Amino acid sequence: MDSFTAITIAVFLPFILAGILPAVEKLLKDKVGWYASATALLSLLLVAQVAPEIIHGGTIQGTIEWLPSMGINLSFYADGLSIMFGFIVSGIGVIIMSYSNGYMSKKEDLPRYYQQLLFFMGSMLGMVFSANTIQLFIFWELTSITSFMLIGYWRNRPMSVYGATKSMLITASGGLFMLAGFLVLHAITGTFDIPTILHNESIREALQNHNLFIYALILIFIGAASKSAQGPFYIWLPNAMEAPTPVSAFLHSATMVKAGIYLVARIHPMFSGTDAWFILVSGVGIFTMLLAGFLAFRQTDIKGILAYSTISQLAYLMTMYGYTTHNEPGIGVAAATFHLLNHATFKACLFLVAGIVAHEAATRDITKMGGLRKEMPITFIVATIGALSMAGIPPLNGFLSKEMFYESSVEMGHLLGGPYTILIPALAVLGGVFTFAYSIKFIDGIFLGKRPTKGLPEHIHDPSMIMLAPAIFLAGLIILFGLVPSIPVHNFIEPTVSGILLEEANLHVQLWHGFTISLMMTIVTFILGLLIYTQYDRIAEWQNRFNARFPWFSVNYYYDGAVNNAKDVTFKFSSRMQPGPVKNYVIAVLLLTLAMFAIPATMLGANLIPQNLNFDVPLYEGLIFLFMIVAALGAALLPRYLPAIIALSGLGYLVALLFIYLQAPDLALTQVLVETLSTIIFLLALVKIPQKFKEHIPATTLTRDLIISVAVSAMIFLLLINATQGIVPPFETLSYYFIEKSLSLAGGHNIVNVIIVDFRGYDTLGEISVLCLAALGVYNLIHSRGEDE
Amino acid sequence: MTTLITKTVTKICLPLVILFSISLLLAGHNNPGGGFIGGVMFASVIALTYVAFGLKYIKSFFNPDWGNWFGFGLLLAALTAFSAIAFSHNFFRSAVEFVHLPFFGEIELVSAGLFDIGVYFVVIGGLLSIFKNVGDDK
Repeated sequence: MDSFTAITIAVFLPFILAGILPAVEKLLKDKVGWYASATALLSLLLVAQVAPEIIHGGTIQGTIEWLPSMGINLSFYADGLSIMFGFIVSGIGVIIMSYSNGYMSKKEDLPRYYQQLLFFMGSMLGMVFSANTIQLFIFWELTSITSFMLIGYWRNRPMSVYGATKSMLITASGGLFMLAGFLVLHAITGTFDIPTILHNESIREALQNHNLFIYALILIFIGAASKSAQGPFYIWLPNAMEAPTPVSAFLHSATMVKAGIYLVARIHPMFSGTDAWFILVSGVGIFTMLLAGFLAFRQTDIKGILAYSTISQLAYLMTMYGYTTHNEPGIGVAAATFHLLNHATFKACLFLVAGIVAHEAATRDITKMGGLRKEMPITFIVATIGALSMAGIPPLNGFLSKEMFYESSVEMGHLLGGPYTILIPALAVLGGVFTFAYSIKFIDGIFLGKRPTKGLPEHIHDPSMIMLAPAIFLAGLIILFGLVPSIPVHNFIEPTVSGILLEEANLHVQLWHGFTISLMMTIVTFILGLLIYTQYDRIAEWQNRFNARFPWFSVNYYYDGAVNNAKDVTFKFSSRMQPGPVKNYVIAVLLLTLAMFAIPATMLGANLIPQNLNFDVPLYEGLIFLFMIVAALGAALLPRYLPAIIALSGLGYLVALLFIYLQAPDLALTQVLVETLSTIIFLLALVKIPQKFKEHIPATTLTRDLIISVAVSAMIFLLLINATQGIVPPFETLSYYFIEKSLSLAGGHNIVNVIIVDFRGYDTLGEISVLCLAALGVYNLIHSRGEDE
Repeated sequence: MTTLITKTVTKICLPLVILFSISLLLAGHNNPGGGFIGGVMFASVIALTYVAFGLKYIKSFFNPDWGNWFGFGLLLAALTAFSAIAFSHNFFRSAVEFVHLPFFGEIELVSAGLFDIGVYFVVIGGLLSIFKNVGDDK
């Protein structure tokens, strides 16, 4: 199997196997999680199969034509960056799904859980291998939707629903901004294809000098920031912790929140080297890094601490990818990429530990814990490895990438010169200090100190190997990457960096490289971190006091205000806009149409009525018109419902007859059938209502309606006599094309039908989907009303 | 609610109209007709029986889940569109094949016909599920 096929299968396999998961569940009962793990493992093996090619410096590209005329195709592109992400997604996927077997109780709705996890994994893989921006957007939004479902997995908990809604609103609308950005990018470069832009120097040049450049950058970056919880969008991630812990470990630490980082890395070659990129990406990154690190102090929920730490670690990555100058476009790329991989290992590990602790201690409140090291020795060791790696203690992998972060900060400050020489490294150290403090807190609060006398179960012990093994495996990776950094560096980091910088990359990462400035910064970090840690609780208290005093000083305050007021606002709006009677809506629509017609009518002015009108109407058509007028008058004037409806149906059948005379059998058939169906429905409704018009129409209303209807009729009349003047150059009629091509291209003689199912098949697919949605909507309307009673 | 005349006429019409709707569906590619028209015809005759005999009575022996019908139709239409990819053409590419069968003569097989069948089922299922839900509503 060639590499492109392998990638395609790796992406779509989780979707397909998730589809048959309920059937498998009937066989395996509560062991269905292992089936899901096996699926993830298959994807992992498929990704691993193509990896050697990438490591040797190749790239893989392939396309399945989708809408070739619009340049939108299903195309996959693999370079170091996507392969690394592919490994992270599928690898952590295997770990998480195995772990879930121990975490989820047997009473839960397991098929739904694993199905959504697999759907998520497929979407994420699809996203990182996408070579087409539109396709990337589709998979991007799929990850938002699956995340929404997984966060709201426990549907009956209000906080779950709140968190799910929040994440969906923020990440999905950010995705829409991103789509707009891609459209701007398309307007500049003329292509949706990512590799085309990446491998084409001249296109990138043109992009950076284009005056729409900044708009494209800002729009795409909003998408990335909302997904990665950066800047003011950070608020959804802490609430996403309502999800089951394996979900948090998988989506909200290792993979989905990295989608924004992935996007930034992916567009790095197109946008970097400009001041705007540095200010936007690094600025938002540094701001978020400090804010989230600081806010982590007041968290009492162990998952909350991890959520804020994730936000700040992602901000590190943003900051590093943002380091750029015109001559050195990618200063922090290597550091960021290495840290990305390391963060996936230690953060997933810490989340698994948090899951174990919450599972055993039946609480997530860190203030109620302490001294668990004796009862859970293995968990304690694993947690310590994870947390120390996050804090950046040698010889773990977190230390290495943090060193690189400091190095690149120093270099960036040096290149900018002036006050920045000090400022940027100082801010980086401050971020590191916060990280150090909350990492230590995580260990100290749970495992060290004294065991509280009450609030914890009597017997707490290490969980079964099902839950421990994944965490131990990740801890092993942390140590391995720390001691032998050449393994990840050669296999993942170098191909990725060369893919981003578009040049050969050779990195030398070592544990010990003498007393450098970055080592000094690390030592300063540890000292300051310990100092801050002694004041940890006081800072947290101060934050709580501050928050109580100034509730408006938080993003959440505005989010909640907007979302909670949305209901009232829409209620006011709809009571104003939709008072009830259909008549008003019809009047509004007709008046708007009239207004739209008035503009071209005034432009045409004197030529509104064409000179050479053809009054040559055959006798039978004239008769039909006469009957139609009679029927229409009858429908309007008859005082009872039944005759009025019959007159209306008669009008419809007369129109069908006219279609036959005008040689349009398909139209006539459709008209007859629709008319019949609507008459049947009318008659059904008639049985339930009194047989006379009850309402008395006042004279003013009658004149108003008369004026409107006469005006609309006159408008239609004018439109029609203008439209039937034949085709005016430069436009040409479409029918000849279809008449010529319908037999040769689609093998049908009936042009109308061939257009519907072949030439315009995509439209039809959309229309029948709408019909299905309408049917489902009616069902829901009627049944939801029944439940209220 | 309805007269004997309506009931008798409906009984006679029902099989004829169903057969006619199927013939419309199958002839649609070359003659007037097609999935949409056939579907509406089928739906209207079923609706007529519902009206003539009452929903309750019909449901006692003939109660399909129309939701499944439009689900099946949408799936069939979508799969038809996707199937072209399996033959490494682009999305929605249609294929035409002429097959000679003994006794029937030449038959034209069009992949768009499958798509049309999907449309047919969606129209039937969609209209009738709306009809039935509204009719069930007390």
